[in-house]
Amino acid sequence: MIYRTRSGINCYFALFRSYIEDFRAQHYQYESHREIYMAAPSSATDTGLISLRDLIDFISHVADCYPGICKDFPQQLIDMLMQHHLVLETELREKLVGSLVLLKKKDLLDSATLLHTLFPILVSTPSKTLRALLFQKILSELRTANSKTTNHKLNRTMQTVLFNLVTSDRTSAKGLWAIKITRELWKRQIWTEAKAVEIMKEAALSQNEKVIIGGVRFFLGGDKEREELEDEDSEEEVNVGQVKHQLTINKKTRKKARVAEKAIKAVRNKERKKGNPSPLNFSALHLLHDPQGFADNMFFKHLQNGKSNLKLEQKLQVLQLVSRLVGLHKLHIMPLYSYFQKFLTPRQPSVTSFLASLAQASHDLVPPDVLEPLVQKIANEFVSEASAGEVATAGLNAIREICARQPLAIEETLLQDLVMYKKSKDKGVMMASKGLLSLYRDVGAQMLKKRDRGKEAAMSLRAGERQERRYGEQAVGEIEGLELLAKWKDEERRKKNIENGLPSDAEDNEDENDEADWAAWNVEDDEDSDTDGEWINVEQDVDIVLSDSEDEGKPASKKAKQEEEAKKDTEKEAEADKAIDFMKLATTRILTPADLAKLTELRAQAAVDATLPGNKGRVAAPWTSRHTDDPLTAGEIEGLAALSAAKATREERIAHAREGKTDRSEHMSKEARRKERKEEQGKSTTNKEKARKKNFLMTLGKARSKNKRSLVETRAVLKAHVDRGKRGGRRGNVGQ
Amino acid sequence: MGSSSKRKKDKQKDFQKPKLKVGKTKAKPDNYTDTSFKSKCMYILWPLDVLLCSQLLAIVLTQQSLHLAAPTSNATFTHNLSLLSAKSDSQRRDSLAYLTTSISSRPVNSPLPQPVSVILPSLLPLILDGATSVRTQLLKLLRTLPPGDVEDHVAQLLPYVRAGMTHLAADIRGSAVEILSWMVEAAGESTVSCAGGWIKTLNCFLSVLGWHTEESSQWSSSRASFGKSGSQGKPMVKTLGALAMFLDAGIGKPSIDGVDSEMSGDDESPDWPFPLCQTAQHMISDSSTPFAYLNLFGKPRDEEGEMYETREDRYRVFSTRFQPAIERGIKSAREEGGELGRASSGVSKVLKEAIAYGPGP
Repeated sequence: MIYRTRSGINCYFALFRSYIEDFRAQHYQYESHREIYMAAPSSATDTGLISLRDLIDFISHVADCYPGICKDFPQQLIDMLMQHHLVLETELREKLVGSLVLLKKKDLLDSATLLHTLFPILVSTPSKTLRALLFQKILSELRTANSKTTNHKLNRTMQTVLFNLVTSDRTSAKGLWAIKITRELWKRQIWTEAKAVEIMKEAALSQNEKVIIGGVRFFLGGDKEREELEDEDSEEEVNVGQVKHQLTINKKTRKKARVAEKAIKAVRNKERKKGNPSPLNFSALHLLHDPQGFADNMFFKHLQNGKSNLKLEQKLQVLQLVSRLVGLHKLHIMPLYSYFQKFLTPRQPSVTSFLASLAQASHDLVPPDVLEPLVQKIANEFVSEASAGEVATAGLNAIREICARQPLAIEETLLQDLVMYKKSKDKGVMMASKGLLSLYRDVGAQMLKKRDRGKEAAMSLRAGERQERRYGEQAVGEIEGLELLAKWKDEERRKKNIENGLPSDAEDNEDENDEADWAAWNVEDDEDSDTDGEWINVEQDVDIVLSDSEDEGKPASKKAKQEEEAKKDTEKEAEADKAIDFMKLATTRILTPADLAKLTELRAQAAVDATLPGNKGRVAAPWTSRHTDDPLTAGEIEGLAALSAAKATREERIAHAREGKTDRSEHMSKEARRKERKEEQGKSTTNKEKARKKNFLMTLGKARSKNKRSLVETRAVLKAHVDRGKRGGRRGNVGQ
Repeated sequence: MGSSSKRKKDKQKDFQKPKLKVGKTKAKPDNYTDTSFKSKCMYILWPLDVLLCSQLLAIVLTQQSLHLAAPTSNATFTHNLSLLSAKSDSQRRDSLAYLTTSISSRPVNSPLPQPVSVILPSLLPLILDGATSVRTQLLKLLRTLPPGDVEDHVAQLLPYVRAGMTHLAADIRGSAVEILSWMVEAAGESTVSCAGGWIKTLNCFLSVLGWHTEESSQWSSSRASFGKSGSQGKPMVKTLGALAMFLDAGIGKPSIDGVDSEMSGDDESPDWPFPLCQTAQHMISDSSTPFAYLNLFGKPRDEEGEMYETREDRYRVFSTRFQPAIERGIKSAREEGGELGRASSGVSKVLKEAIAYGPGP
């Protein structure tokens, strides 16, 4: 019942006042039962328990109506729970927890007190069910406390409590609760501060292996989990139109009205959210304070330390975290690389993870002479004609990944040797080797043999624009896709000039242009921008050529090709001039929000164009498209090992075949499918098929009689058969 | 063809009889269910009369009760004590009756078969028992207990009595009031002076009578009508009687003996010869818990749960917290007249005497 009017509220309170005597009696009843119970909590009778439970339930439900009588009630419940939770009967215990949460909802208890009550019990109780209940209640309490606005005070106290829990006793497994709570709240984006990360950092440095792994896994997977949850939340769509339409057709019930209302509300919320700036949530790895110290500690404590008793997979996880930190923050832990040395053999279990970690741990500030022996070792151990295809593939991929991060890590001769594997019979090895080759065409073409360099790299080398990057040299910072924007602006200006009847190259007065720009300060909401996915132009007349390598001869005639190249060269020169030009755009003028919006659009378009194979350029290499935050996985190192694997079993082959053709119902032979089609079309069967389908019992008589035939009969039959063969069947082929 | 013969065979299988073999146990049918069970102990509820007259006979009913002699009376007493938590109310009532007879029929000056501290814990939950017959029988049993022993266990009894007094069922409220009046009779001083015995019990009285607030004590309001209305008549009258006794025990004018015993600390006691003075103060106290007021082991008490050991304290609390409410209640009860009015006059008499005596000498 909802009383909305003033008189309604008055009548509501009058109702409570008139029951005050009865409530008081019930409260006394509760008091005396509590007294009886507290005198001997462990030896209470069933009836006493039930009545105490019911009384607690009743009083907590109406406590907000009689604040005077119930002012001590929450404290009493807290005392009862805190002092006797070990001996309390389970149902009563759960009722106490539930009642406390209810009292919190009625504002008779503040959430800090509630959490300070529940959390110590969560950590100390041996009961599994109670722990589950408490965990759930604590989480929901923290969520509701943060639902409207972030409750900084509560968060801070809770984080301090958790931090102290983790740091107070590093050998105990109690820190696991801190991890669980922090991870859950991180996932739901309730806690996004550095303090939460600090808790996890301390957990990862603890001495209990469960706690360590809990902390490490948070850093490795917590952010991904958060993103996934966000995606899930945003994915659930409500179709308001449909709901409204159904409401007009179907029977009108209160429930349906409620559903419609909810749907409309959800949409409204969504719209409101769209207007808000998206919250800038840094990943946990970025929020770390002193990553160098943390990584150092982790490495020396859990990996280098002979006393640490982590299992191999746990060590691998720690190693992943350390190497990711090293790669992301460009840290220096020199002993880490020599640590890798002993694990780099094909016989090492889960060696691909080690390889992936090594690749992650290398960055362009690692001295090449530290990485060189490792690369050498990988090449020696993994890549040879004698080793299995998968092994060589993994080795080559690992080397490629290392070199993508530190191109100076490999010697020239070794590189040239490895590139030779592009002629390998094994497809996986061949692909991996080509990957390495195309990487070095980009980053260090002069290290390749001349014939391996490729046209583009060779020409740029000759022109002298591409130079080997020295150790520690940094690229000039730039805004990604700015050249696209500059180009687009240039084109726009040309168009406008043509409209105005000026020569296309004429420099128009800058002022006018500026004014136009300032007018277009804001992003215009044109009509297609309110649809969710914006349209991106996909080039229509790109002839899609699928080719594995450039070595295969192209069908285009040589002359046409040369012309094309010549044209491209001139274009390229022009573009080279502009390369300096577009930096001007960033340095001389302020980019308006409209410009930035256009920039993102152009970038998206460029990304789409890049994925289309064709004359626009090579497909972007995987090492360029990777975000620095993304981890490198063992799967990527294994790469196309599946291609070099031994012959697959029938099931695998079937599964592989079905991957491509999802529309087919069943995997069948060509013959069987043909037959099926024939049957569907109602066509007749051949004599052979008829014979095959003939009932066995019908053939039995003839088979028996065949056994009993005399020699003469047999001879006659055989003779007739030969004769028939000569004639060309029963009917003969005389007439034909 | 082939399938039909197969089906025939299948059908025949259903009608085939199992072969019996000599010297082998008969095969169990398919749908046999094992109903045997194992148990650590087994109770056999003996009818009371069988128990009593089985002095000479050793009846062997089962393997579990292979006794040569009948159980001793002490054993049956304990057995009946354990039966107090039985499910059926008739069983509980019968056990109570047995306990009552065995206590009351014991030879004079012989001790109880079990000490009160053992009996009482199983009796206490019965104060809130749902069955009327059990509660009346309980009261009878309580009355047979020696008052001296009760005095030490009042603190245990009182919470149950208070729970009974605020119970939703009017019958239970009535019998709880009766038990309280028995307690006041048996051990008045300790009832009013034990922890929580004064304020909390008075609160319960007020809520039973419905005298807490101004408006609820008016004659037109539905007084004392919460919960189920009882089958016994005149609960108010009984309650008023009990209140009168309770007040008398708490703040009534101390009798001459009481004054004497109180004064005995100050004056020279006749028990001690001349040179000894105030010796009684230094002797070991004869009450069971002489330092209860220190509350060394319990949790801290609030104002309501505090012990009010002297009349002075009780009167102070009474005059500040309860006097107006009770006077108002008495007034309205007197105005109602009839039996209630007469009962209220008993209370008002006690009250007047107490007020006349004042906070004390």
